[in-house]
Amino acid sequence: MVPITHTWIPLLYLYGVGGIFFLIGMIIIRKSGAINLKLKRHRHWYRVLIFGYFYFLVFHTFFTLLGLYW
Amino acid sequence: METSAQNIQHTFHNIGSSIDIVIIGVYFIFIMLFGSYFGKYNRSTKDFFFGGRRFTWWLIAFSIVATGVGSHSFIKYSAKGFQYGFSSTMTYINDWFFLPFFLFGWLPIIVYTRIQSIPEYFERRFSPSARFLATILLLLYMIGYIGIGFLTLGKAAMPLLPESFNMLGLTIHPTLMGMIIIIAVITGIYITFGGQTAVIFTDLLQGFVLLFAGFLLFFLGIAYLHPFGGLWHLLPTTWKLPLADFNKPPDFNFVGIFWQDGVAGSVGFLFMNMGLIMRFMATKSVDEGRKAATFNILIMLPLSAIVVGNAGWIGKAISIVQPNIIPPNTSPDQIFDVVAHVVSSPGVFGFIMAALTAALMSTVDTLINATAAIYINDIHRPLKQFFKIKEKTKKDTDKKELRAARYSSAIITGLGVLSVLAFKNFPTVYEAHGYFHSTLTPPLVVAIFLGIFWKRFTPAAVITTFLGGVALMILGAQHPAVLIHPFDHGIAMNPEHPYTYIRALYNLVVLSVVAVVVTYLDGQFTSIVKLIKSKSNHKQIIYSVTALAVILFIMISLNIGSLLLLLIANLILVVLVAIASTYFIEYDPVAQTEGLTVWSINRAKEVFKGRKVNEREGEKVLVDWKLKKGEDGVINFSKKDMEKMAAEPGDLVYISDKRAWLGGLKSIHSVFGEPHDEDGIVYISEEDEKNGIFIKGKKLIAEKEM
Repeated sequence: MVPITHTWIPLLYLYGVGGIFFLIGMIIIRKSGAINLKLKRHRHWYRVLIFGYFYFLVFHTFFTLLGLYW
Repeated sequence: METSAQNIQHTFHNIGSSIDIVIIGVYFIFIMLFGSYFGKYNRSTKDFFFGGRRFTWWLIAFSIVATGVGSHSFIKYSAKGFQYGFSSTMTYINDWFFLPFFLFGWLPIIVYTRIQSIPEYFERRFSPSARFLATILLLLYMIGYIGIGFLTLGKAAMPLLPESFNMLGLTIHPTLMGMIIIIAVITGIYITFGGQTAVIFTDLLQGFVLLFAGFLLFFLGIAYLHPFGGLWHLLPTTWKLPLADFNKPPDFNFVGIFWQDGVAGSVGFLFMNMGLIMRFMATKSVDEGRKAATFNILIMLPLSAIVVGNAGWIGKAISIVQPNIIPPNTSPDQIFDVVAHVVSSPGVFGFIMAALTAALMSTVDTLINATAAIYINDIHRPLKQFFKIKEKTKKDTDKKELRAARYSSAIITGLGVLSVLAFKNFPTVYEAHGYFHSTLTPPLVVAIFLGIFWKRFTPAAVITTFLGGVALMILGAQHPAVLIHPFDHGIAMNPEHPYTYIRALYNLVVLSVVAVVVTYLDGQFTSIVKLIKSKSNHKQIIYSVTALAVILFIMISLNIGSLLLLLIANLILVVLVAIASTYFIEYDPVAQTEGLTVWSINRAKEVFKGRKVNEREGEKVLVDWKLKKGEDGVINFSKKDMEKMAAEPGDLVYISDKRAWLGGLKSIHSVFGEPHDEDGIVYISEEDEKNGIFIKGKKLIAEKEM
């Protein structure tokens, strides 16, 4: 039995604490006007940034499940 | 193959054959000739350092692979892959969290303000004294990085050598330090030809070769293990998990590595790595830089994680089924060489080792050159200015600077070798690099980060962070059981190498606290300084304050006194440095933040363009080109083409050869001039033709930049 400290706790910590940094970054670039959501290409970048966060979250979740059950 | 058993770890010697040595030699010569060919594309110093800001994202994204992977990764990640499995990949897959800060903060700032070095940013945002301290910290960081590069090269080369050999009647026993010194001499000879364009193309080739060599090794390993049941099924479950255990063991735990690599390392990689930053600045626009960085993190880094770590995973599987071939106690730092030798045939092994060592060497060489550039730009020239030294002609200046650059390169190489002493006693390169990152990265990370994203951050605060904050870091290193323990998340302290990774969290916290508190107390420090300045002996007072601060810093560094006493001394040091900095530094919070923080990027854009930015979104247009007489600094399109591009006279334009596979090599930046009526034609000057290396009859593609 693999302890939870080797599976889900690191995952939660990574995307929880890392997610806080990510969220602060997204808020700052929006509030400062560095990303201007009125521009089409900036809206595209905004979606890419959010996609990347979930892309890596899914990646790590998938490989954790694969490691545990296959 | 000769092997020698040590008490704990099994080390290998004399692996490889003469054909492998020949292949390594031929590969090195080929890479040098390849780099020198692209030197011809440099027509100015701007080209030399930044490649002329012309390349497309994909070319830069692939050239970054060698920069990110080349230096030390094969050895260190294979070592951890061998010891702990797939979790060796976690440091390659944790950089996304800081990408918003980089893509829409630091990247546009460095491009639009035309900053050429990180210390230069500190001078413009804060003060010359902040630049001086940033330069020292950056030099320490770069020299440490060179040291890690040398250590890795030494460790990669050692298994190829015999345990001893005879020369001129003497029996010579190769040692790691001896090997490193020889490598340092060879590195000095292995010159990076032709500047940034050559580096980009050499790295592009090496990036492809490294990926190819890494995947070749992976597939050879999988094929080797197939008869035994396959790699996946041979590995224990914990080896298959993508993240390490939360807080154990001390030499490889998730939480420590998250703070050391995911936070300090990621910010360091994106914000402090001058080699990488210069590469992003070589892209044709900020948006292309964004694409290169995003593609690198989303696609290239996960692939690189497999490339650099797979030798360790394969080594672990072989050690289970064939412990006589790869003993389970094989020295982790040798596992890459050993696995490459076991699974590949003679010649192929030579190619894999050549790809590794050539990339390592060019990375170290690039670092030495970049460090010498920092010395010339941020120490040599400011000192000459300070002492009012001026040569008679520009030629004399160039000659003296070139000589200074050569001497400094030699000294930096020597210091790099010396810095290996600080790292060589760590069990693996991975831990040495982790310690390096958690110790040398945080001061600059905190200072750059707050400088960019917090416009209230003051010069007094940044200098106090560099001195008072670093003093707290030194105290933490001296008393880890007391000061770092509260941050350790349950990681056991290894007395030999206490808190290798999690010390990054302690360092980041103390530095941030000093930075924030001093910024918030700016009003109080200003009042104290006003009071001092009102006294007739204000100079004596402030010099006494400075002298006392120096004494306290030395006292803390030498660990003189009890911890309580030293903590009080540190508190006083923080106050004194803040007062002295407020006294000496003249700071204009409006002028010195304009265009230099994320809050005024649009202003930076306007300064870059020289007029109001045109944000209307247009299309690209395909045109033929014709030469015009004279040089007026603009290029002329038809009215219709300009409408398509949503451009107006005075806007910035990027125009390149239509052939996308050239990656922007044949291109220029210019300004839209007054339009004409010939649709599909652009008029350019002879100088534009030369700079763009355009070919007659080949179509160009144009787009408005801003």
